[in-house]
Amino acid sequence: MAGMKIKYTKTERARQKKILKVSERMLPLFEAMEKSLMATINTIAERIEQIRGEIEKNRKAAEPWIAVMSDSWVSINEFISVNKIITKTVDVAGVRVQQFVKVDFNIMAIDEDTPLWVDDAIELMREQLQLLAEIECLKEQINLLEEELLDVRARVKLFENRRIPNAKLAIRKIGQKLQDDERLTIATAKVVKTSKQKEGKL
Amino acid sequence: MSNMVYLMTSLPSLSFDHLPPITIDEFNDEAKAQLSVRHFRLLESVDIQQLNTEVGKKSIALFLKTIKKDQAEVRKAKLQNRQAQPERLPKSALSGNPLEREIKILQWQWQELLDMEAGKTFTLIEVLVYKLKLQIVSRLYSFDPKKGAEVLASVVDPVKNRKDK
Repeated sequence: MAGMKIKYTKTERARQKKILKVSERMLPLFEAMEKSLMATINTIAERIEQIRGEIEKNRKAAEPWIAVMSDSWVSINEFISVNKIITKTVDVAGVRVQQFVKVDFNIMAIDEDTPLWVDDAIELMREQLQLLAEIECLKEQINLLEEELLDVRARVKLFENRRIPNAKLAIRKIGQKLQDDERLTIATAKVVKTSKQKEGKL
Repeated sequence: MSNMVYLMTSLPSLSFDHLPPITIDEFNDEAKAQLSVRHFRLLESVDIQQLNTEVGKKSIALFLKTIKKDQAEVRKAKLQNRQAQPERLPKSALSGNPLEREIKILQWQWQELLDMEAGKTFTLIEVLVYKLKLQIVSRLYSFDPKKGAEVLASVVDPVKNRKDK
């Protein structure tokens, strides 16, 4: 409020009242939006943890046979690679984000002379790569939602700490000033009236 | 013949349960020095990794053909969701995790090669079988959990893997 110049007029008071009304109506909306964003971010973070658990579970399940992947006859990394991560745009808590759909893989054809374990390894790698890609998409969603959350929090603070208190203060000050002016006008009128009456008696 | 005798006596014996005492390259060098050009060319064509069935020795060609055929049958059965009916490969070799399966298959191949070389001392068959056995044990001892984990990580999480290094 410091440094804010107030016009002590009825129009200004009406304007400030309007600002207060709108701000008091908007604040709960932004607060609800803040809660919703926080809840969504938490849900996504939980899903990331859940996927990490799945990745770890798959890794543990493969541990007893992971040694075969160092097979000197096979370069397994030639068999599978990610071509493209396919996503779709969705609206999450009012923010447009990319939702994971699937991973498009480049998978090399398996020849007859390829050892049998390669099939299992490709299956495992495909599963792990899908899960990792999903995590990346979810992390990106969290980034976007956190940006929005910062923006919403700034708005909440603006309404809570500036707009509403400033409008209330302005309305009070203008009211006081207008009341003072009115008293002064009445008092002046009374003085004028009294002095006129005195002049008339003389 | 004398060269064959010299070659076979100079080569260390191989065991399925022990690390190969010689590398494929060392074996090839040794064999090249002792075998005739024709025999060495034949030796070069014998390869259990490539499963090259165009080999001048019928028994070896048949063995490699069987491996290829059985492997194809196992894959086909998996796709069709039915039990595999391999021609020679024992069904017991198809149980267990991928590593156990691979070791059982290698064991079966090793046994088949032992049967093949029986009574063929100091013959070209013995030399060819030696190469195949050496390929089998070299492969078997390349299975390493730590390296395997690195290979998996290099595929599924190459970025993290680069950072860790």
